[in-house]
Amino acid sequence: MFLAGYEHYLRAAAASQWDQATVDLHADAARWPRLPEGVRERVLGLLCGFCVGEDQVAGNLDAFTLAAHRPGVAACFRAQAVDEARHACFFDRAAAEVARLPGVSPRARRRAARARVTPSFVRLFDERLPAAAGRLAEENGSLGDGVALYHMLLEGIVFTAGVSALLDLLDTHQNPLPGLRRGVELVARDERWHVGFGARLLADLGLGAETVAGLLEQGRSVVAVWGDLVDPQIAAGALALHRRRLLTAQASTTQVAA
Amino acid sequence: MSVTEQTQSSPETKRWICDTCGWVYNPEEGDPDGGLSPGTPFEEIPDDWQCPICGARKKDFREMAPGEEIPEDVN
Repeated sequence: MFLAGYEHYLRAAAASQWDQATVDLHADAARWPRLPEGVRERVLGLLCGFCVGEDQVAGNLDAFTLAAHRPGVAACFRAQAVDEARHACFFDRAAAEVARLPGVSPRARRRAARARVTPSFVRLFDERLPAAAGRLAEENGSLGDGVALYHMLLEGIVFTAGVSALLDLLDTHQNPLPGLRRGVELVARDERWHVGFGARLLADLGLGAETVAGLLEQGRSVVAVWGDLVDPQIAAGALALHRRRLLTAQASTTQVAA
Repeated sequence: MSVTEQTQSSPETKRWICDTCGWVYNPEEGDPDGGLSPGTPFEEIPDDWQCPICGARKKDFREMAPGEEIPEDVN
């Protein structure tokens, strides 16, 4: 099993930069009121999840950078922070310009968004992630535990499942929101290097069988935070990929140890 | 190992890389957990197979040039 090194992720990040402000949402805004109510509500729920989630992952990455054990790892975290800030801006734009979520500021819109996601979703991003970042900042937590939560569970499962659900929903209805779809595709591309980087980092830090078993168990509860916004089939796909990702990182750990 | 260190692949080994997540497919190892037994040529991988790290499809992989370096391989 091979996972490329940190230089690869820096190159991937540099090659995939995009400007969220250039994604045209005009057609989406015009079509939004005409969407079937059920579709609109599901898109809105997923969008609210991303507004809450991306803002928190963007805001809690500094502690990871400071805890990085190598300059290359810290550089990857910094590159990732640029992506996460862009994602948070993009989803807030979509919430404001397309879905017309109430609120005159991103913070106010996120308050409205929180009311539309499950309590377990809010706890995961508003409490568990900041707590993990706080432990890292206080040098009281392990980078591996933080990356397992951030890259494997939040990005690798919650965001992966949410992106799949959103794209599947839009495709099923003849892509009524082309700007949102384009932005989500670009976000998904960024997230793919993030989880690759996370897997590589976990392989470096050492990923034991007990940790893998724990992350597999947590995966089932984490994917459920979307509630009924994510179909069981999509959730199962995200969990299956989570399992393969962990086993691949673990196999790479074994090779490093050998 | 620093980020600038490089590992050189064997010139005779054909490999494919997911340019986004950095996972490298080696036909000699296959991807048993993904249904590809060791020895499966890349060309025989089904189109709906997914990268074990990021979920990318076969079409998203790029054949590595003979001897192409993978920066700082895990092994």
